[in-house]
Amino acid sequence: MRFDLEKMLESKRALRRELAARPLADKLRMLDALRERVLTIRAAKPAPDAGALREQPPPCGKSDKQA
Amino acid sequence: MNIKELIALINQMQSDGIIERYAIGGAVGATFYLEPIATLDVDIFVTFKPETGKAIVSLQPVFDYLKARGCAMRGEYIVIAGWPVQFLPPTSRLVEEALRDAVTMDVEGTSARVFTAEHLAAIALQTGPAKDKARPLQFIEAGALDAERFQAIVARHGLSDARKRFEEQFLSDAS
Repeated sequence: MRFDLEKMLESKRALRRELAARPLADKLRMLDALRERVLTIRAAKPAPDAGALREQPPPCGKSDKQA
Repeated sequence: MNIKELIALINQMQSDGIIERYAIGGAVGATFYLEPIATLDVDIFVTFKPETGKAIVSLQPVFDYLKARGCAMRGEYIVIAGWPVQFLPPTSRLVEEALRDAVTMDVEGTSARVFTAEHLAAIALQTGPAKDKARPLQFIEAGALDAERFQAIVARHGLSDARKRFEEQFLSDAS
């Protein structure tokens, strides 16, 4: 088996394009399924290390929920 | 868990006059243009009809309306159709413009108001948290951005420096 990185990256790009082109209702159903998976994985994984580096919350009064 | 149900309830809330207009932003908004992006919550940007004598916008009518329809509060979120939702009033001219220019899309017979791709990318440039910093790149790679419209938004809202930083960080190979 040969690892052709460029070919692998192109196949990933093609998959993303194919997913992006799906009907909106399909994509929203996928979001529902993805969220359920994320919650399942979160519930299964051990509590994070207290010393782990995390993104800092925005300063008070400045929401990061804009996009 | 069903986003389409959620959108239908927001539409109903708009028809009932609780909110003036709304638009979906964040990862869910981006999913209308890109491949599905895993997320745990939904960001709904809202405006209200101006009430005389009231300077402060309150989300209480939204919460009261939704709680009366069986939705539960969870911290700063309200859970609709299994999804935690944040209602966000516009906090910048860019977001006000994005709400005004949002587009209506059809989801199997349910209409959904969504920010344009150009506004979603510009908002990510302006205030996106670290995890969303590369979102404009996703729009560019997907060919989802109208370059002229995006550039006009960037210029209008003083985001040229932010765009330059983004290009240095993510597009330096292309230069």
